[in-house]
Formats: sequence, C-alpha cells, structure tokens
Amino acid sequence: MIEIKDLTKTYTVGGQVSKVVDHVSFKLAKGEIVSIIGHSGSGKTTLLSLIGGLTKPDSGSVIIGGKDIWAMDDAGLSGFRNRMLSFIFQFSSLIPTLTAFENVVLPAAFGDYKEEITGYAKELLDTVGLGDKMNSFPSQLSGGQQRRIAIARAFINRPEIILADEPTGDLDEETEAEIMALFKNMNREREVTFLLVTHSSELAGQAGRQLRMSSGLVSAA
Amino acid sequence: MGKRIRIFSIAVKNLRRKIIRTVLLLLAVTVVTAALFSATLFISSMQNALKIGTYRLGADVLVVPEKYATEARAALLAGEPTSFYMDRAVLEKAKRVEGVKAATPQLFIKPASFTCCYNVDVFLIAFEPETDFTITPWLEKNLKKKLTGNEIIAGRTVPVLVGDSIPFYGTLFNVVGTMEPTGMKFFDQSVFMTMDAAYAMAASSKENAMQPITIERNKISAVLIKVQDGFTPERVAIRLEHDIDGIKAIASEEVINTVRRQLGGLMKGILAISVVLWVLALLMLGFAFYMIVNERQRELGLLRAMGARKGHIFRLIVLEAILISVSGGIAGLIGGSALLLGFKGLIISSFKLPYLLPPVPVLMELVAGAVLFSLMTGLIASLIPATLASSLEPYEAIRKGE
Repeated sequence: MIEIKDLTKTYTVGGQVSKVVDHVSFKLAKGEIVSIIGHSGSGKTTLLSLIGGLTKPDSGSVIIGGKDIWAMDDAGLSGFRNRMLSFIFQFSSLIPTLTAFENVVLPAAFGDYKEEITGYAKELLDTVGLGDKMNSFPSQLSGGQQRRIAIARAFINRPEIILADEPTGDLDEETEAEIMALFKNMNREREVTFLLVTHSSELAGQAGRQLRMSSGLVSAA
Repeated sequence: MGKRIRIFSIAVKNLRRKIIRTVLLLLAVTVVTAALFSATLFISSMQNALKIGTYRLGADVLVVPEKYATEARAALLAGEPTSFYMDRAVLEKAKRVEGVKAATPQLFIKPASFTCCYNVDVFLIAFEPETDFTITPWLEKNLKKKLTGNEIIAGRTVPVLVGDSIPFYGTLFNVVGTMEPTGMKFFDQSVFMTMDAAYAMAASSKENAMQPITIERNKISAVLIKVQDGFTPERVAIRLEHDIDGIKAIASEEVINTVRRQLGGLMKGILAISVVLWVLALLMLGFAFYMIVNERQRELGLLRAMGARKGHIFRLIVLEAILISVSGGIAGLIGGSALLLGFKGLIISSFKLPYLLPPVPVLMELVAGAVLFSLMTGLIASLIPATLASSLEPYEAIRKGE
C-alpha cells in the first residue's frame, strides 16, 4: 500500500514561485495499475520523482510499507530505490558504455544481490524479446529496443512498485501494445504496483484506475 | 552468460569512453611521476654512493700535498685518476698531531693500461697492511687473510676474476678478491696492493715495463687519519694544516657536505619544478573531472535512481581519477627508470659524482612512494568533483542532463 499525503513541491524560477505539486493526496493498493494523465507541465513527472524519492518535497509524506520514505537517510532511501521500486523514464535511460545485459544488471552493483541475478537478467531479456541482443550496446539498438531493455532493468530488483513516466512515449502502436501487455503480465504474475504517467488516453484507459493532474492538483479522471 | 557489473568495471568502461582524454590525463601524471621518481632515485643513488664510499674510505681526514688538494677531491668523488707524492715524514708528523688516533699512508699510482688482454684504465692504490684501517678490515672480514706479495684486490668494475694474473708496469699480480660495488670510481675502478708490492713494482719497472715509473720508498701520496673521540675531523684537519707545512687536510665529512650542499641545491630546484608540474597536473585532472561530472550528470542521476548511494557516486568518480593517476604513476615509474638508465652515463659524467643504486628495501620504498604519490594525486584532484557529483539531487541531475 502506498499513501501519498499532502505532497507539495514548489520551484522558484526567475523570482517566480511555481507550485508544481499542490497538496496532493491519494492511495495505491498493492498490485493496482493507476495512470495519471495531464498536459505537459502539469506536474506529473515531478510527482513521480517525489514518490520515487528522487526529489525532496517541500511538505507532505510518501508512505510505502508503513514507512515515510522522506524520513529516511541517504542510505535508507537509496536502498529503498534499489530494492523496492523501479523507474521507467520517458527518455533513453541506458548507460551508453554498458551492454544491454550490463544495463539490466546495473542495479545489482549498488545492492546486496545474489549471483543468480545474472540468470534472471537473461530471463528478463528473453521476456522483452531481446535475449539475442544482450551484448549489444545502446547505440546498436533501436529506440524501441532501448526502451524494452530499460523495462527489463526495471524488473531486475523484483520491485513492488514501478513508476513509469511516458513508458511508450516515442514508440509505435504495436510496441506500445506489447509493452502494456508486458506490464499487465508482470502485474498479474508478481503483483507489481504500477503508477503510469502518460499523455496517451488509450494507454491510461488500460489502467485499473485513472487520475488527472492539472496545475499541480490531482483528481479522479 | 554475462557477469554482474561492479563499480570498478563501470569506472573502467567510463574511462574507455573518451580514450584520448584519458590518455592525455594519464600522460600528465606520467610526466610528473617520471620527473619526481627519476630525480629522487638519482639523488638517493648519489647519497647512497657517498655513504658507502665514506664508510669504505674509513678515514675521517685525508692529508695530501697542498697543491694537489683539488685533484685529491676529484679522485675521491669522481674517481678521476691522479698521482702525487709527498715525503713519508708527513706520516710521522701527522701521528703526533693532537686528536689523531691512527694514521696510515697510501700511494696513488697513475692509471696503467693492462698490457695484454684488457683495455680498461685502473687506479692503483697501495696501502700499508701494518697500519691500514681502511682496506685491511674488509680483507679480514671477507677474505679472512692479509694481502701479501703480489696479491691484489680489484674494485667491482675492473674486468677481472679471482685467480686472474694481471701485469702492471711489467710485474705480474694475482687477483685474490674483488670488492662489492660502492658507486665511487675511486674504489670500484681501483686495484689495491700493498705498499711494498707497489715500491717493488716501481723499482723493477725500469727493466720490465715499456713505460717505467719512479716512486722512491720514502714517498707516499696521502695519509689517512682517524680522529680520537672528542675531536671533530674539521678541528683535527685545521690542526694538521697548522702543524705540518705544505699539506692540505681534507675532512671527509667536508667533502660529503659539499656534495650534499650541491645535491641539496639540485634537489630544491627539482622539487620546485616538480611541485609546479604536480600542481598543474592536479588542476588539469581536477578540471577534467569537473567537466566529466558535468557532462555525465544525467547518468549519475540515473545511477542514483537505481539505488546508488552518495558514497557509490563519490567512489565511482574517485576510482576513475585514481585509475588514471595510478596507471600514469606506474608508467612514470617505468619511464623515469628508463630515462635514468638511458642517460646514466651522461648524468654521472656531467655531475662528476659517485652513483650507486640504493639497496632493494630503499628502492622498494621509493617505488611504493611514487605509487602512493600518484594515487594521492588522483584522490586530491577528484575530491571536489566527486563531492559535487555525490551531492547532486537525482531528479535535478537527470533533468539538467536531458
């Protein structure tokens, strides 16, 4: 269960104070798929980074498994990001110097993972249909393939929550459908909770619940 | 099946990313380490040679004819062959001077080329076994015997073996021992014989040698003095010069100190240049890593998003810098050694000073010091960039790098 309580974040740009996330509160049940739709600049990505522990809120709390992640120190918060949650970003998030396989196992470099992780990485690469590309570098892969590698990486730590920011943003319809099917499959098999941020009302419609974000405020869609 | 990736591998792969930049940074550390290491090794070799040479000389003061003081110094330090003579009476006078504990004569005989199969100039040094305290203790310790008749001991660089027979001025001498290297040509390129043998060789040279030599039995080249406890060599040297006419008394420490002063000046110069080079290398590395952190902000943010702690990011940046600096340091060690080895002859002949590599433990310390120095260079240079990188807020880092 994830509980977001009264989350607020403001930015000051050129002397102008902008409230990007404005007293947002909602709950996510375990294994739920929730989508957040909204226009560019509505605060969706910032909200996702607040929930994922990437940027500190001005006020409010994010309670996951009964713990407020923003009350943790750096080691605790990093450990939480390493073991409990994964991000799928809207841009290519692969490290260019590492192969597809190395990118998938990368989170294991920062945590206490067992050696079997390598077998699981191969399995994930097979799942996203790129088992034969494990030694390819990102520059040798297409945008869709890179996105699928990033998705495989998101599952390497067997997360409880996946925060996906426009996960199919620049992909064709066929690949988008494949990825959504993959998410649903993972959700069903492993009870992974998904919070998807998207422009696409079609993708949002496939979620169990939809939220709308506008001017930093979240409401039911 | 692939392997797990570790922070070390990430650092290595990052360095390979811009190989030209990595090589340039590595070269900067190589140059600094090579300069510092070769200079330190060079000076330490000279100091080692002086230390061993002084110990081997075993004398606190060397008394020579007044007008040959410069030649005597040159012979001691650079092993430049020379010969000069003074009356043996100087020995008896020296023994009576206050503060003199022991005095022994030596004969320096101009270099003689071997007559047959060798073509190396050697310096002949004759000593008096009865009173000698410089060569005899070594003989007793290492050969367990005294030198008699036509027996000689050869310095390390004289190309002979024990058992060889070598003619000098028409007299055949038997090699009964070779000395360990000292780095001082005065010892290493000399042949030691008794004074009786030297006088006999000179006497028979008129009949046996193509180039005869004349040394009367009442002539000596130098008197080596050991001072009593409570007296300084400098004070005894002054006293000797005061009491005996026509001589120059050289305190061995004075010679060593003169060289040390020369070396000190040289060391200061080298040190100043090295410090400047080091600061430049530090700035270069520091600035390069500042740029690296800036250009990789998004990646660093992504690593944080995957669970890297601040410490992991700090370690990654420092590790990259240390990998460059230690590799540069090792290359510098090899380069510096090669430089010193390649130009050893030229350096020695330019400085006219003794030279002997320090013992293995000291060498190991120098090598370890150079590696530690290069490691510290990387560490110091990367401290600020690594701190900046680790303190980036993940979300900001990812956004700025987009």
